[in-house]
Amino acid sequence: MALTITCPICGKRNGYEFRFGGEEKGPRPDEKDLTPEKWCDYVHMNKCVAGVQEEWWFHKDGCGSWFKIHRDTTTNLEKEVKDENKVQKAKSGGQK
Amino acid sequence: MKEIQRVSPVVFKSTPVKTEQRDNWEVVMEYSGEGEGPFLVDLSHRPRFDLQDASLSAKKPFGIVIPEIPGNCVLENGILANRMNRTQVSLFNLDGGGAVSMPDESGYTDVTESTVCVALFGENVFSICEKLTALDFMDSQRKAPFLFQGPFSHVPCQIVALSKEGDASGLVLTCSRGYGRDMIHSILHAGEEFRLTPAGESRFTNWIKNL
Repeated sequence: MALTITCPICGKRNGYEFRFGGEEKGPRPDEKDLTPEKWCDYVHMNKCVAGVQEEWWFHKDGCGSWFKIHRDTTTNLEKEVKDENKVQKAKSGGQK
Repeated sequence: MKEIQRVSPVVFKSTPVKTEQRDNWEVVMEYSGEGEGPFLVDLSHRPRFDLQDASLSAKKPFGIVIPEIPGNCVLENGILANRMNRTQVSLFNLDGGGAVSMPDESGYTDVTESTVCVALFGENVFSICEKLTALDFMDSQRKAPFLFQGPFSHVPCQIVALSKEGDASGLVLTCSRGYGRDMIHSILHAGEEFRLTPAGESRFTNWIKNL
């Protein structure tokens, strides 16, 4: 089945309208005592979960919002989890 | 000094019958053989602005209260305000009469010359749209006017459905200027079986007056 993603603004849409933004990795590490190794791990190392993972998506063909969803990587289906799908203030932005 | 010349990205094969110069745009008021509709009208010369601000609720562009919910629109005094997301609203001047200039405040961008704008209205317009997009204009939950942001003929567009009332149905569509020629080609091709024809601005003005 084709991937569908629920945008918090536009609703359920075809997955081709979106750009994958990577796994949710929590907040950016504090720059105090940040070593190049820690930063490299934060940027490049992924958990690659076989199952449900939280991840970022960008609605490139729609409203231009960044948001998070839960997706089962083994079935490629979105999973509903409460209190998710909120547009993140830090990453929301304009349509280009 | 020579005056600038503004050129619409939309070119129809029909022959213009009546044109007028407006703010350096050549605006076609009427084409020959316009028929009975549905109609496709080039509105690329109508001023359009983007407004971006962290607190849009504090803004009142052209005296309009911006809708709170993304996807909702307001049409007041010929200005259409479309809430796009948390921080952005697009503003279209659909009233051809008065010249509207960009408010002298921060946050506004004039996108008139960077986008295409066309109106599609008349009988069967949503049947034409169904051939070009998966967006559901006939969703009974949505009350006109409302905004869709999504692919239309595979091109990211802003589409505002202004009316869902039978033969008076219609919408306004904008996308990046570079897609103009192909967008017009695909809409006219999809509308062939419904006798879609290019029409001049006068048709649109009469239609929107009656909304």
